[in-house]
Amino acid sequence: MNPFRLVRPRSLADAHAVLGADPRGTTIRAGGVDLMDRWKEGIDRPATVLDLRTAAAAEDARALASLSATATSLAVGALVTLDALAETPLPAAFAAVRAAAGQAANPAIRRQATAGGNLLQRPRCWYFRHPDLACLKKGGSRCLAAEGNNRYNAVLGGGPSYIVHPSSLATALVAFDGHAVVQASPGRPKEIPLGEFFVGPTERLDAETVLRPGEILLGVRVSAPAGARSAYDAVRERRLYDWPLVEAAVRLRVEAATLRDVRVVLGQVAPIPWRAREAEAVLEGRRPTPERLAEAARAAFEGARPLSDNHGKIAVGRGLVRRLLHQVTGVPLPA
Amino acid sequence: MTETDGRTLAPWRGALRVVGAPIDRIDGPAKVSGRARYTTHVTPPGLLHAAVARSKVAAGTVRALDLSGAERLPGVRAVLAVAVPGQKIRFAGQDLAAVAATTPEIARAAVARIEVVVEPTPHVVTLDGAMADGAPRVHEDPVQARRTEGDDPTEVRGGGRVTGNVRPLPAFEHGDPDRAFARAAHVHEAVYETPVVLHSALEPHALTVAWDGDDAMTVWASTQSIFSVRDEMASIFGLSPERVTVICEHMGGGFGAKFGASAPGSRMGFIAGTLARKAGAPVRLALDRRAEQEVTGNRPSSRQRVRVAADGRGRVVALEVVSHGTAGVGTGAGVGRNAAHLYEKIPHRRVRAHDVFTHAGPGTAMRAPGHPQGAFALELALDELAAKIGADPLDLRIAHDRHPVRRREYELGRARFRWDDRRARARAARAAGARVRTGAGVAASIWGDFGRAKAARVTVAIERDGSVHVRNGVQDIGGGIATVLAAVVAEVLGRPVERVHVRYGASTLGRSVGSGGSQTTSSVAPAARVAAERARRALLEAVAEATGTPPGAVTLEAGGTVRVGPRRLSFEDACRLLDDDGIEAVGQRGPTRSDAPYPFPGGGRPQIGGVQFAAVEVDTWTGEVRCTHLTAVHDCGRVMNAKAAESQVAGGIMMGLGFALSEQRQVDPVHGRVLNADLERYKLPGFGELPEIDVHFVPVETDANETGSLGIGEPATIPTAAAVACAVFDALGVPVRTLPITPDRVLAALRDGRAEAAP
Ligand SMILES: Cc1cc2nc3c(=O)[nH]c(=O)nc-3n(C[C@H](O)[C@H](O)[C@H](O)COP(=O)(O)OP(=O)(O)OC[C@H]3O[C@@H](n4cnc5c(N)ncnc54)[C@H](O)[C@@H]3O)c2cc1C
Repeated sequence: MNPFRLVRPRSLADAHAVLGADPRGTTIRAGGVDLMDRWKEGIDRPATVLDLRTAAAAEDARALASLSATATSLAVGALVTLDALAETPLPAAFAAVRAAAGQAANPAIRRQATAGGNLLQRPRCWYFRHPDLACLKKGGSRCLAAEGNNRYNAVLGGGPSYIVHPSSLATALVAFDGHAVVQASPGRPKEIPLGEFFVGPTERLDAETVLRPGEILLGVRVSAPAGARSAYDAVRERRLYDWPLVEAAVRLRVEAATLRDVRVVLGQVAPIPWRAREAEAVLEGRRPTPERLAEAARAAFEGARPLSDNHGKIAVGRGLVRRLLHQVTGVPLPA
Repeated sequence: MTETDGRTLAPWRGALRVVGAPIDRIDGPAKVSGRARYTTHVTPPGLLHAAVARSKVAAGTVRALDLSGAERLPGVRAVLAVAVPGQKIRFAGQDLAAVAATTPEIARAAVARIEVVVEPTPHVVTLDGAMADGAPRVHEDPVQARRTEGDDPTEVRGGGRVTGNVRPLPAFEHGDPDRAFARAAHVHEAVYETPVVLHSALEPHALTVAWDGDDAMTVWASTQSIFSVRDEMASIFGLSPERVTVICEHMGGGFGAKFGASAPGSRMGFIAGTLARKAGAPVRLALDRRAEQEVTGNRPSSRQRVRVAADGRGRVVALEVVSHGTAGVGTGAGVGRNAAHLYEKIPHRRVRAHDVFTHAGPGTAMRAPGHPQGAFALELALDELAAKIGADPLDLRIAHDRHPVRRREYELGRARFRWDDRRARARAARAAGARVRTGAGVAASIWGDFGRAKAARVTVAIERDGSVHVRNGVQDIGGGIATVLAAVVAEVLGRPVERVHVRYGASTLGRSVGSGGSQTTSSVAPAARVAAERARRALLEAVAEATGTPPGAVTLEAGGTVRVGPRRLSFEDACRLLDDDGIEAVGQRGPTRSDAPYPFPGGGRPQIGGVQFAAVEVDTWTGEVRCTHLTAVHDCGRVMNAKAAESQVAGGIMMGLGFALSEQRQVDPVHGRVLNADLERYKLPGFGELPEIDVHFVPVETDANETGSLGIGEPATIPTAAAVACAVFDALGVPVRTLPITPDRVLAALRDGRAEAAP
């Protein structure tokens, strides 16, 4: 680890002052779970570390640390921990968010990890994380997963890099309409629609969101139509404390026995949280019969283009989406 | 009067007072309170920290080393070139150079400044690649098999000539398999694969060396074999073994990878000892997780073509296993004894295994070397044959097994596990095409008792204050030998366990065995009993002399009371009659004198059985597999500590579940690097995988040694993955023939099964 300067701001304004002085040389630390991992492997060498948490108590930082909800809206401050998100009773519409936060990693990590840090964590691809290998996202010339061992890499939307977006919380949040609330300097924050917040490798290789150096993510605000329900689930190789092989979130509403406002999002399969629009189209305005749900699950991976070692994700993902659709629509699961 | 000579000491009969009861481990409080000192907690004054520069390429030739950058860094006290120009690199992670510095951070920074020019040459890390025509040769020179105390000492040694990267291991043949296959009514043939898996002990390989002058040193090591560390350090540095003191107070896991002064893929003892000498200060070398997973050994992979045949009456008549596996640059990718010796009533049997060399870290013994791999392929193939001929897998096994204890274990397990119920339920769910299926499978273990005569010298001392002490240099790797020593001595002297003080974990405390081959208990506990019996006799003789009583009239009663003619003395009062020296008696174990209950192949020693039954639940939509219940019925002679024995079996089961469901080393084919050299993507089982575990021991009385104890550490993990794979087959009706059984593989097997079933 390199020598570094630790700054503990007492307010958001303090934090902005530090960031503004050297946006590229300053790295925000929230829970620090992801940052420390990258740092220890030598993937990041921050010169200045800004511990956002010490600003949280200040008047100007309220949005950072608060969690609030109504039946149809949810505001998650960037410093809210995954554990708080999972343990706070939320309206039924946002069940997917709670579940995603509650299944991620393990209890110790969830108590430390923040919602903002979770959304902004860097890819977990083992080539990206290897201290001796220069992958495309670290300035190398090629995606090493494409020609190497890509068991956990993207089957949808990949290229030129085949990372998958690591955030489970992102998978759940993208199932709703909403915004990331971002602030570049003291003053009015900007709101970036979640659908535009996460970006793939064709747009950017040095990050997975549109966030720029010097900007602080204050939180995320999402809304759900009245009467909406949602669910999240994942398939893992290990039941606890494991990255999902595939995860999915579904949000919908049942009106006069037909499905409305259907959104299906897949996680750990693409460089961004992946809207399965083909699946949504199969379900929108239709009755949820078992056959229809199965068809939607198939459609979710319609455009998948697996690499050499990850074609298994497709069948697993289809099974997961099918099961999840049964759960969220209430169509009984066969024994 | 009891005969106390080790060779003729009468065996224990019937139940005992202390031995065999559930006893709390004596090191438990130190461990849970954090007081226990592990190797890396030992910090002699002036300690320096070592770090090793490792090869980043998998194959090449060292052209130049420049250590000057490291030498110039403040805080660096010694720098050492481990590789020399011209040397071949055969795996990523191989030792190149090392430094010792005042802090671990400086040591790592110094390593980053070492410049080594390695001219890369083509490498090959996959089994197929290594066996292909024109594959780069991993070893140009004849290959020396590396063996440790973790290997089965009775295994036939040697190997055939190396062709390309393939080296045949000694073959086994019984009967005439070719003829039997040609005539058989039913033949099943398929290929089964197991991955390379990693020991992943929570405590990494670590040792600290402190020189004491030029001709003596103290070594603190995380080791399964204190005396092999001592002897190897003595030989590396030209010292008398007597001048090397090795200490391992507590141990955080080894599983076969921690024998000797070096890790299987890193010359740790040489490096630490040399740096310490150069720097004139003690040096600690502890590996980080990446090195631990990349260079310290592994369980070799296997690809086994299994053929098994039955006659028209449902008798299995022939079995053949041809296996290729890779132990990286190392040797020993065999498949154990299962196929050769477990089902002795199969008249024709053949096993041919091969090492396939690849440019990857060396394999080494890992808990029952070869056996879990062999069990998986053999047992699943048997179940596939059973399905073909309509036989019940449990009946089929019992019908072909001669071992009387194992046959009994199958029957006990059948009842405890409710085998027939579970199989019927699985059948019904399968027939109904249920989404969530259950399944039941059974598999067996074969192991031998490798307890050794005269390998351990145990001292039992009785002091005038009535305290009792046991001393032996054995390491307690977590199996609980220290507690067993206390229990054995407590038994003989009529004392409570907590009144017996045990000192262990240092070479100065008397010769002992390495903890490999499941031989610790059956080698050391008997020596303790012999020593305790001698101490007891000496005590009674001393009391007789002090009180002027005829020797025959002094006896030790249960509870430790000494009867002197008509009088009774408490143990403490009796001890007060001793002279200042108290009593000190040394014991050694006699030779193995019985192969009861049933001989191990080759004869002369007992065979250890054991069977496990697994129940699984499988979601056929997502492919998720969960082992819900595991019934384990084992034998290990006389159980010394019921609690520790059960815990050994539970641990073996968890290890087996990792092998079955989630663990596999992942290597990048292009760069030859291990991609999951961590505990994140290398998926050890956790609490989520913990099934309901039911452990039952069949008590076996054997006169094999003075305590009747046999090993259990390794048998405990042999059948688990096999039983799980058989249960998954039962659930799905189609086999998953590759470990680990991950969700994608389950769904692929179902898809292939449907494709096969379709017209
Ligand atoms: C074994 C293991 C399993 C895991 N499994 C899962 C899983 O299943 N699902 C899942 O989603 N995650 C999983 N994780 C990842 C874990 O949840 C994340 O590392 C964690 O959420 C990161 O949050 P943090 O607050 O610690 O982030 P930090 O490490 O503090 O920050 C992460 C990044 O975001 C930046 N940052 C943080 N906050 C802000 C902000 N407000 N504004 C601007 N930039 C900011 C930091 O500079 C840094 O680059 C797993 C981790 C491990 C080790």
